[in-house]
Amino acid sequence: MKKFFVLLLTILILTASVGCQQQLATTTTPEKQSPIELHIAAAASLTDVMQELAAVYAQEHPEVTITFNFGSSGALQQAIENGGQTDLFFSAAAKQMNALEKSGNLLAGTRKDLLENSLVLIVPQDSRLELNAFADLSRPELKHIAIGDPSSVPVGQYTEEVLTNLGISDDLTAKAVYGYDVRQVLAWVATDEADCGIVYATDAASTPQVKVVAAAPAGTHQPIIYPAAVLRDTKHPEEATAFLAFAASEKARAIFTKYGFICK
Amino acid sequence: MLDWNPLIITLETAVTATTITFFIGIFLAYGVMRMHKGQGLMDAIITLPLILPPTVVGFFLLLLFGKRSFIGQALLQWDIHLVFTWPAAVIAAIVVSLPLMYRTTRGAFEQLDPNIIYAARTLGVSEWRIFWHILLPNTRQGILAGLVLSFARTIGEFGATIMFAGNIPGHTQTMSTAIYAAVQANDYALAEKWAAGIILFSLLFILSLNHWLNRQTRKAF
Amino acid sequence: MELIVSLEKKLPAFTLKADFTLKDEVFALLGASGCGKSMTLKCIAGIERPDKGHIVLDGKVLFDSEQQINLPPQKRQIGYLFQHYALFPNMTIAENIRFVMPPNTAHNDKTIQKLLNTFQLTDLADTYPAALSGGQQQRAALARILATPAKILLLDEPFSALDSYLKGQMETELMDILPAYGRTAILVSHDRGEVYRLADKAAVINQGKMETPQNTKDLFHNPQTLAATLLTGCKNISRAQRIDDRHIYALDWDLPLKTVAEPSSQIKYTAIRAHFLTAQEKTAGENVFPMEVVRVIEDTFSYIVMVRPQGKAVKPLRWELDKQQWQQLKKTTLYLYLPPEQIMMMNS
Repeated sequence: MKKFFVLLLTILILTASVGCQQQLATTTTPEKQSPIELHIAAAASLTDVMQELAAVYAQEHPEVTITFNFGSSGALQQAIENGGQTDLFFSAAAKQMNALEKSGNLLAGTRKDLLENSLVLIVPQDSRLELNAFADLSRPELKHIAIGDPSSVPVGQYTEEVLTNLGISDDLTAKAVYGYDVRQVLAWVATDEADCGIVYATDAASTPQVKVVAAAPAGTHQPIIYPAAVLRDTKHPEEATAFLAFAASEKARAIFTKYGFICK
Repeated sequence: MLDWNPLIITLETAVTATTITFFIGIFLAYGVMRMHKGQGLMDAIITLPLILPPTVVGFFLLLLFGKRSFIGQALLQWDIHLVFTWPAAVIAAIVVSLPLMYRTTRGAFEQLDPNIIYAARTLGVSEWRIFWHILLPNTRQGILAGLVLSFARTIGEFGATIMFAGNIPGHTQTMSTAIYAAVQANDYALAEKWAAGIILFSLLFILSLNHWLNRQTRKAF
Repeated sequence: MELIVSLEKKLPAFTLKADFTLKDEVFALLGASGCGKSMTLKCIAGIERPDKGHIVLDGKVLFDSEQQINLPPQKRQIGYLFQHYALFPNMTIAENIRFVMPPNTAHNDKTIQKLLNTFQLTDLADTYPAALSGGQQQRAALARILATPAKILLLDEPFSALDSYLKGQMETELMDILPAYGRTAILVSHDRGEVYRLADKAAVINQGKMETPQNTKDLFHNPQTLAATLLTGCKNISRAQRIDDRHIYALDWDLPLKTVAEPSSQIKYTAIRAHFLTAQEKTAGENVFPMEVVRVIEDTFSYIVMVRPQGKAVKPLRWELDKQQWQQLKKTTLYLYLPPEQIMMMNS
């Protein structure tokens, strides 16, 4: 038993020292001529598009290495407010960015409403239901309609807004299947478990297993805005601002559009 | 080429966290067992992370160690930032695995006939020697079971880690968060690779542990 | 060795109160399980803390609630033999003994050899406790205590975990060891035979209340209380009233009884041991009553005959007699004599 304790202690010291070295290595790099590391916290729904964007950016700016931290916008906002060090934040909704602005965590004047998303009705690729509009959702032959949980998921909140404005929200309560994030809603439709679902246009564009049959009518929901900003605590304000400028450039717009976003 | 970082980080985090949990868990189990008052409250506090959803645990860790907290402020004096760092991942893993280590160890301690401890005391054996030479060796099975559970728990840890340590490739991205990131990026092939990896790893881990534990059990005292 | 104990401790079911002094003798606490007798030992050893009182061993204060003294068990020099011996399962017998000795290899080796030899454990030195029989475990536990400078021995139900045939053997062995402690020991037991054979002095403990210690023989022959009567193994007990200065009335049996001593006006119970009843030819004088047999139970070496005063629907009496005797007698109606010198009287 004693040997076992000693063994464990040794492991602890070894791994901890390796871990610390790793940490030290990253914090001391700016001193040397090694590349600048930009930390970008971004909404999970931006994962694929941001990675492509970073790859393109890296070709033009080899001196900058980009490290992402993808999570839900709310969790990232909480972490940043509590001292999570990061240079840029790409949020999936205005709410979290507003909170950071209010608590003084943004670098003044850098906030941009970068992208806009839209809400679409999707069906499985081989669906024979012939749904054509949101209004068709009240048709009796539909069994399961996948939507985001309105109490916690942003897409669910927008969805509810649309359904209420169209006056069909009550018809659906018995058929609605609530997902805890938009990817789950997408997966249910893609696997034909649900007859149809309501997701962001970008999610619909990410898989060939679903097809878009309708977009939410104009004015039935608040605009779905993706703001971005440089954070006040950044160690590289210039490089961070430069990347944000790139994200708004023509080159970046092309990439965003490819993934289904509307550029502002 | 598959990036091995998430596996390495998962292992580093799990090993470090489990080792720390091991010592703290035993210490707490021993301490709480010997407490005269407030045993129930202490027990509840240590067990709480087992009941709370991991994201809530992560949120509490943010509040506890964040820059607005007393601890966070103190750490900033030393220029230590915890949120979004590897030590944060270790802390998150410790907090979620500690209840398992603590509970199992305490159960093992309580299983031991108390008269054995009493006998040692009346025979003049010091508390320190009792702990090392009687309590620990005779509760080895339970302690090792706690260690296994804790390690398994840290391998699968997701919620508290992504909240407190983030999901930063090469720094805090573990196998679990890598799977999440891959799914979010619509890279199902990668997600499946990591999922297969974590399943394979866990299987191997549990099988070899069972093998080892069986050998330990068969070893006569 | 002298031990002075006076303690009080509140327990969930009752408050434990014990007062006694013993000097170079074996003192027994006789009581049913859960009566507080083991708790008394634990308080003396320092495993449990009494609420009030003091414990002094040979002039050394082990516990005193007023002086705020409470020595840890390690410093009390009290040898405690646990009911299940509490050997350290992860150590061999030799290791068990060595572990409790101060480190001093050469000298310890000799002492261990001597102890193992004394207790016939030499061949089992490298055996783990789990592989030992109850008797061997007890010997090992005793050897382990003898390796420490314990001044007094506390024996907690020492034979309850042993097979009956081993009991007698271990009892004799224990009698041989006791002189090593100047015969200072406390024996806790629910077995009246053990207490009778081993202890010089004994006290009955009932629901946490310890009764006045008595010479063991006195306690058995003339128990002062109902609890003591029951615990010393008396089966025939009846509520009683005084009639005059030589007679009492046994209410439960509906019998008038003659006594040797003068009954107190406070008398509450009377009792007679089952083997003190004798059969007579016919009613002749006092304390002889016609009885009818209710039931006959065959025991190993005797018969237990349950009898009842003839024609009375009252509590039966228990009569124990030799097999041979009963074989010769075997009647349904008997005349039984309750010798006045064997009639016990209790005021509480």
